[in-house]
Amino acid sequence: MKTDDDLHKELLSAWEETYKKGQLTLWIFLSLKEGPKFVSGLQESIEHFSKGTIHAEEQSLYRTLRKYYHLKMVDYSAGKGHKGPDRKYYHLTPLGESLLKSFVDRNILLFFEEPLKELLLNDSKTNIK
Amino acid sequence: MKIISRNLLLFALLLLIYTVLFRFGLGSLLSAEKWAWVVIISVAYGAMIFVTAWMTGKRDGMNNFLFDAGFRWNLTTFIVWGLASEGWFLLGFHSAYESIRIDHITLLIWSGFLILHLILFLILRRRTIKGIHKTNIFD
Repeated sequence: MKTDDDLHKELLSAWEETYKKGQLTLWIFLSLKEGPKFVSGLQESIEHFSKGTIHAEEQSLYRTLRKYYHLKMVDYSAGKGHKGPDRKYYHLTPLGESLLKSFVDRNILLFFEEPLKELLLNDSKTNIK
Repeated sequence: MKIISRNLLLFALLLLIYTVLFRFGLGSLLSAEKWAWVVIISVAYGAMIFVTAWMTGKRDGMNNFLFDAGFRWNLTTFIVWGLASEGWFLLGFHSAYESIRIDHITLLIWSGFLILHLILFLILRRRTIKGIHKTNIFD
């Protein structure tokens, strides 16, 4: 028999698993908004920004960036590698920047407005009217 | 994104090899009148094409985002099979039991399905942006 605590953990994990799907774009765009990055730098930045809740495999990032490059959302320029060959430094294009702004305006900023802000920051009210 | 990708070329090459081997086996087995074996190698040939198309198509999808609803693979199979089969007859490798007419009828029926597949692809292409299916952009 599962305790409420076990159920809580299981449900939270399932919810997060679903929630994180499709989130990678936002984390990539936010990391690139900070400045141009090569793939492993981008990977570190995403982990840092998300406080370790989002981990993107390097291969998955390469694949995603190639797709976004094709769709003109990101571009790259060659930069010096640490020791080895030149690396691709990715940055947002004007299209990528405007897309991020529109997405954030429509889907993220509403969480910073009342009454959602209060609901998110305060514990839920348990009294029934 | 490439229309003619490495995986598609690999599929075409393997298909050509399978078809030549199949044609050779089919001709030999028909001449020997081993009918059960004719059925067995025909099923094996079809299964090998399916598995190879599945594997190369899946690999292609991992690196190549071009959405084609499988049309490139169908068209490649049509072309390779058609050329290999025509060549088989033109070079005179066929057995007495094989008729080029059967191949022509097969190609004719197949071309009808190919046109239907193309129409389906053109309809589904509306769900793409610059050749990538919308559901695959932000996956």
